[in-house]
Amino acid sequence: MTDKPRLTALRLHKALYPIWRNDPGWKGILTTVNNNTIGGMFIMGATGMFLVGGILAMLIRAQLASPNSAFMGPEVYNQIFTMHGTIMMFLFAIPFFEALTIILLPGMLGTRDLAFPRLGAFAFWCYMIGSTSMIVALLAGVAPDGGWFMYPPLSSSAYSPGINTDIWLLGISFIEISAISAAVEIVVSVLRYRAAGMSLDKLPIFAWYMLVVAVMILTAFPPMILGSLILELERAFDMPFFQAEHGGDSLLWQHLFWLFGHPEVYIIFLPAAGVVSMILPVMARTTLLGYGWVVTAAISLAVLSFGLWVHHMFTTGIPHMGLAFFSAVSTLVAVPTGVQIFAWIGTLWKGRPELHLPMLWILGFFVTFVMGGLTGVMVAMVPFDWQAHDTYFVVAHLHYVLIGGYVFPMIAGVYYWLPVLSGRKRFFRMGETAFWLVMVGFHGTFLLLHWAGLLGMRRRVDTIEAGSGWELINLLASISGFILAIGFALVVLDVAVNAVVAVRCRRNPWNAGTLEWATPIPGPAYNVASIPVISSRYPLYDNPDLPVQIARGEGFLGTPIRNRRETLAVSVSRAEPEFIAVFPHNSIIPFAMAVVTSIVFLAPVFKWWWLMFAAAAGVTVLALCWVWQGGSRQDEGLLDAGRGLSLPTHAEVPYPPGWWGTLFLLLANSVLFGSLLFGYAFLWTVAPNWPPPAILQPGFWGPVLAIGGGAFASGGIRLADRAIRNEGASWLGLLASLAGLAGLGAGAWTIFAGTTYNAHAYDATLWVIAGYVTFHAGLAGLMVLFLTARIQAGFISARRCGDARVVQLWIDYAVLVAGLGLGAAWLPGWLP
Amino acid sequence: MKDILRLSLPLSVWIAAFSGVYGLEGVVCSDRGAGAGLGLGQGRAVLVVAWVVAIAVQVGLIFGLRTPRFASAQPWVQRVSMILACVALVATVWSLLPVVTTSLCL
Repeated sequence: MTDKPRLTALRLHKALYPIWRNDPGWKGILTTVNNNTIGGMFIMGATGMFLVGGILAMLIRAQLASPNSAFMGPEVYNQIFTMHGTIMMFLFAIPFFEALTIILLPGMLGTRDLAFPRLGAFAFWCYMIGSTSMIVALLAGVAPDGGWFMYPPLSSSAYSPGINTDIWLLGISFIEISAISAAVEIVVSVLRYRAAGMSLDKLPIFAWYMLVVAVMILTAFPPMILGSLILELERAFDMPFFQAEHGGDSLLWQHLFWLFGHPEVYIIFLPAAGVVSMILPVMARTTLLGYGWVVTAAISLAVLSFGLWVHHMFTTGIPHMGLAFFSAVSTLVAVPTGVQIFAWIGTLWKGRPELHLPMLWILGFFVTFVMGGLTGVMVAMVPFDWQAHDTYFVVAHLHYVLIGGYVFPMIAGVYYWLPVLSGRKRFFRMGETAFWLVMVGFHGTFLLLHWAGLLGMRRRVDTIEAGSGWELINLLASISGFILAIGFALVVLDVAVNAVVAVRCRRNPWNAGTLEWATPIPGPAYNVASIPVISSRYPLYDNPDLPVQIARGEGFLGTPIRNRRETLAVSVSRAEPEFIAVFPHNSIIPFAMAVVTSIVFLAPVFKWWWLMFAAAAGVTVLALCWVWQGGSRQDEGLLDAGRGLSLPTHAEVPYPPGWWGTLFLLLANSVLFGSLLFGYAFLWTVAPNWPPPAILQPGFWGPVLAIGGGAFASGGIRLADRAIRNEGASWLGLLASLAGLAGLGAGAWTIFAGTTYNAHAYDATLWVIAGYVTFHAGLAGLMVLFLTARIQAGFISARRCGDARVVQLWIDYAVLVAGLGLGAAWLPGWLP
Repeated sequence: MKDILRLSLPLSVWIAAFSGVYGLEGVVCSDRGAGAGLGLGQGRAVLVVAWVVAIAVQVGLIFGLRTPRFASAQPWVQRVSMILACVALVATVWSLLPVVTTSLCL
């Protein structure tokens, strides 16, 4: 263990900066993996999308301002309202909070970067390419036009020919890769990359919220990705998942969409609640009341939100008991929401609130969100929903919840963390004017639209009839809508001007207690000069000298002796130091990978299948290059981590960060597979024209190959892992595993041979199940070959066996889904 | 990681039970259910049994999380996991209550 003399803060900065900085010039933008740079670009991209979505909203209000308007025709109007919803939900709301999280989380957690910096860069580039493609489609007049939830049969090729719907299905699926990548990164970061001593009960409340939200993204998005892919398969290859005459059912889409769509509302609300829970105590000069209760409420809301999806389908003819289940959960979910609101009111009560601009926005949030919540309870009641469904009442309700419950707190957050983002504190005072314009404009627009809905005005109508009784309401709503737009434009202008030219400010101008205020502002590329040790939720209140101690390198890893990007990984629960995580350097691979991945998703829009397959091969090669760069060819043993502690690197622990990332990626993957099995069971139970004309007979060889293959694959990789840990020969285990995976694939292949992909929804579903199993067997086989190459190249040893554990996870998953999927496919044939 | 499991398990069991009972109701009310000879009386009995089992599992989790073997060593996690287990029990009772109060397959 070395005992180097401590550096001064400036010397430490000069030592760390060259290690962590971006590449110079334009190249630096494409190769950066730094959370501050990526988060900043992400925020600008999401804000740009907010402005585009806002302009579309103004076009909608212009169209509806007067009866029988000829401002635009129905074809254009359909594209405008579809893109407004799509942009605001997928291209603004989710990316914006992810961006804020990517910037703030390392500082809050007291670590140097998020767990997978290249994955963060990949997520950003996927988002930018995907959202740019959608905007290009809008400008070219081929934007999606089937509504933001794209219900079949309207979105089927029979009623929506052309590429508009394909752009939505494939574009949104591609952009959701970005969200899932960021979610994996956030989960692993919160669980493993924290200051020492930051146990679960001392996590900043925003980190708790983001942990919950990231897990929600991993479990809510896959059903919709599956729905999008099978709807695209139906459009491209006539596989009849949603065609009633061939055993499909359009209600399957609604289930898959709302399995995503309702949790999505909470995915958007909970980060905003996290922002409120961070800002409110600081503005009230106290600490958060009921921290444990707020965490409990966040977890409860997250899980309960998965039991709400059918409340968007109350008018589809589902039996009353089914409606009652979902109505009951819809009322229940108001309880944890209320717990949070009472905790915030209690916090204000026990503190001494100051009315700064962030606080003003939070008060606006309180009023608006509570009103939206109350109308939410109204539409949760089945009889009321039957009357209000698909009217402007619902449009008004969702805008109260989404703008009041998300946009207002996020604006509060931007103003509150402006010093962290820009190093400057607000100087120009347009913000207050903007706030009041937004408040007047918002309530003037959407309070009135509740009324229009109750008078029977249906959502998505492209014009209103003269004499309908809705004319005056819509005129006033449109005038208010333009006031709202001016207010939001002023907010963007105010933030931009203050971020660029306002006076620089001292560190921690709000006198907050959490760690993101312990770093210099704006945060340097390495975020914290050393990893602190903390003992409470508000470390800066306990120890006002902590920022100086961190800057002097008095925490862990305060002496950059190895000249590489390192941070500390801790145990999940108690945050005890466990290993040193070594981060990758700047790389062009995430950008290249995003470009090539975009081709995989966009080529099918034009039916360029050869290009899609070529791009998929390119993704495979880039992924192998990506993973190959990690790890080490020699054992380093225990290294000095500072403060008298020696730790191994991440390459020399049995469960490295990559294993954790894989675990959560497989969680998302398993939800997608579970949704596929749900779809199969749903069609079998509910869809018309079942049972199918012919049932697949399992035969002898298919099951034998699958069972034998599964045993060999799973046993073989364990044999190889044991051999690696005992420094023995692993080739026998690897070979057995490879043979087993080939057997699994062959077993699945018998399903392709026994069915016709477009004959019936049954056949189409079996093709997707068999394709899923074959893909995973093939992927796991590729990983075994890759592991073999890593062993040959010297990356694997008895101490460095993490790669083998990652491959084992994938193989076990492939075996599991093969057992469940093929079993479900063959079961009807086995039954008498 | 065990503490994360302690915090997430009860509500995860609730969502599994909730989805399961909803799916079971779909089977009972489907033509396939009727074709398999499942009458409304038997169907409701199956749903009630599933509801009671779900409640019993949640009660078991509450007791389990109090035992030294399964309780967290951290008092904060212990307390929050117990509250979440109670939330899951209330959710199970309330959200599936319609199996005894609402008409079936109407």
